[in-house]
Amino acid sequence: MMIDELEKLCNLNGTSGSEDEVRDYIINQIKNLCEYRIDNMGNVIAYKKGTCKVGKKLMISAHMDEVGMIVTYINDDGTLKIAPVGGIDPRVVFGRRVRVGKEKRLGVIGSKAVHNLSKEERDKAVTFEGMYVDIGCTSREEAEKIVSLGDNVYFDSDFVRLGDRLVKGKAIDDRAGVAVMLRMIREELPYDVTFAFVVQEEIGLRGSRCAAFEVDPEYAIVIESTTAADIPSASGSDRVCELGKGPVVSFMDRSTIYNKELYDLAFDLADKNNIPCQTKTRVAGGNDAGAIHITRGGIKTAAVSLATRYLHSPSCVADIQDFENVYKLVRVLSDSICSK
Amino acid sequence: MDTKELIFKLTENYGVSGDEFPACKTAANILSEYAKTEIDHFGNVIGYVGEVDKSKKTLLLDAHIDEIGLIVTYISDDGFLKVSNCGGIDRRLLLAQEVTVLGRKNISGVITSTPPHLEADDTKTPEIDNIYIDTGYTKEQLEEFVSLGDRIVFPAKAVILNCDQITGKSLDDRSGVAVILKTLEILKGKDLPVNLAVLFSSQEETGERGAKTAAFKIAPDYAVAIDVSFALTADDKPHKCGKLGKGPMIGVAPSLSRKMSDKFISLAKEENIPYQIEVMNGQTGTNADAIGVSGCGVKTVTLSIPLKYMHTPVEVISISDIENSAKLLAAFVEKGVE
Repeated sequence: MMIDELEKLCNLNGTSGSEDEVRDYIINQIKNLCEYRIDNMGNVIAYKKGTCKVGKKLMISAHMDEVGMIVTYINDDGTLKIAPVGGIDPRVVFGRRVRVGKEKRLGVIGSKAVHNLSKEERDKAVTFEGMYVDIGCTSREEAEKIVSLGDNVYFDSDFVRLGDRLVKGKAIDDRAGVAVMLRMIREELPYDVTFAFVVQEEIGLRGSRCAAFEVDPEYAIVIESTTAADIPSASGSDRVCELGKGPVVSFMDRSTIYNKELYDLAFDLADKNNIPCQTKTRVAGGNDAGAIHITRGGIKTAAVSLATRYLHSPSCVADIQDFENVYKLVRVLSDSICSK
Repeated sequence: MDTKELIFKLTENYGVSGDEFPACKTAANILSEYAKTEIDHFGNVIGYVGEVDKSKKTLLLDAHIDEIGLIVTYISDDGFLKVSNCGGIDRRLLLAQEVTVLGRKNISGVITSTPPHLEADDTKTPEIDNIYIDTGYTKEQLEEFVSLGDRIVFPAKAVILNCDQITGKSLDDRSGVAVILKTLEILKGKDLPVNLAVLFSSQEETGERGAKTAAFKIAPDYAVAIDVSFALTADDKPHKCGKLGKGPMIGVAPSLSRKMSDKFISLAKEENIPYQIEVMNGQTGTNADAIGVSGCGVKTVTLSIPLKYMHTPVEVISISDIENSAKLLAAFVEKGVE
């Protein structure tokens, strides 16, 4: 089941620049199924052969990295200063358990007790500047034996079901895309497709830029996770997109004005194949399409995203049926693009 | 009884203020090895060690059994739960936090957080009124599992942080419960100069209410309130905090019996037990405040266990502080209280 693989993938750790665990997992899955190479960036480029036909050159991509933190300094008292890797609201980090470094040492993020806060302090969110990780060490010397500057810090969050339809976990952005691509590589596809598992999306769309240059496709599909704000405190267009309403295909976000032909095609195919499909009701967010669509002389690009609540937090929430439908839509869209 | 295992066991079950039964049951089971034990209608666990001797004074050892949490106040049409707080929640940690709803079955949930594009000001902590619990269920489903008034907790199982330190939820004040149980273990079979009563009190976090009713019922002459207090963190003031791992904090305050405080200090010196002095300038913010004015008045003192990150799911305590507190408390019971 694709959802079981998503669980495995989300439980792997891989902040931007340290995607090793995810890359190793992917290589293990695909090594007997197709040719692949690992480029200088650390992207995994997999060349999946189609069953017979020759079609248009298509690259499908998803990013391996997740948001997290990095150790920047060890304080005298043995606590660690951290900075975010990727965009994180510091408010979703405070009061959590984290895992530090290769050995995944347990750490906690707290601060002085709520009882000792002034009225102003109570209303004020903790910033990364004011935050520290406590790994139970009482001096810098003790901490230095366990932690090095530059060690990664990950959310410690189990992958669990919420209700009948939803799942919660860290890193659903974008292991969901990785899971869809792995499934497609395992299946018979009619046309050749190049799958790019890319690095460093969260710190500026860096892996995809090189992957797109290398692969030099005519078309690209980016599989992503995107912010859904379908919570009671948001209404109308502020909800952006909603869980349970199918894959999200955008016309425009902060990084891309999407190719109209592919945008229309996606909705057309969704309609013909009875796949629910929605668009974003705000021009917000951005993804690897931003780098890919302006590579070389320009690449016709579509993004198909999984609507996800509380994105970039330890508790991303997504709909299992949407996830399945992202796969379905990418499948028919890729076949259709290749046969153009 | 291994201290770490005892803490793990005591924190495993939930006991949000006013709904302490699961936590009470675990603690009462262990207490019944040492004392005649009952759980009263107010959710207090009360135990008497040995037979009551009317010629002796009665000493009460108290630790509160309840923990902070949330309470369900409303189910919205689209299946989100609205909540209020039970006890002093640190609102800074709410957004996207994992929770468990203690309904007819336990349900996992996430506290909603608003994405950046909708936040005019993301430097503010949310008001409890503005958060919802996302459980993934519809309103109809929720109405089957969840009733208004059900409690919500932060599900952080206690684990070792490093060496001697434990992190988890409700260490405030299951650590105090552990200290009392460890004390009884040390005292087992010994003749005591006092009648010894034990109280694991309910509803401390919502206003020391369990201690008030139970202290009336027990009517002790002396009492020790064993609770947690602030261990110094990088961003707090040294003069307002104790230090983690440096021993029990003996309370000295105008509202406490100075003789009892002094006795604790001299015993700690005699027995070579590390200790710290916690000076408070009025009342203590613990059950000592309620017990001290129960009936005609009770001579009361506090013994506190240093704890970091109070009222969060990442509270931290040191095992050595628990063990040293138990040693000191046992000496206090055995060698006279003032």
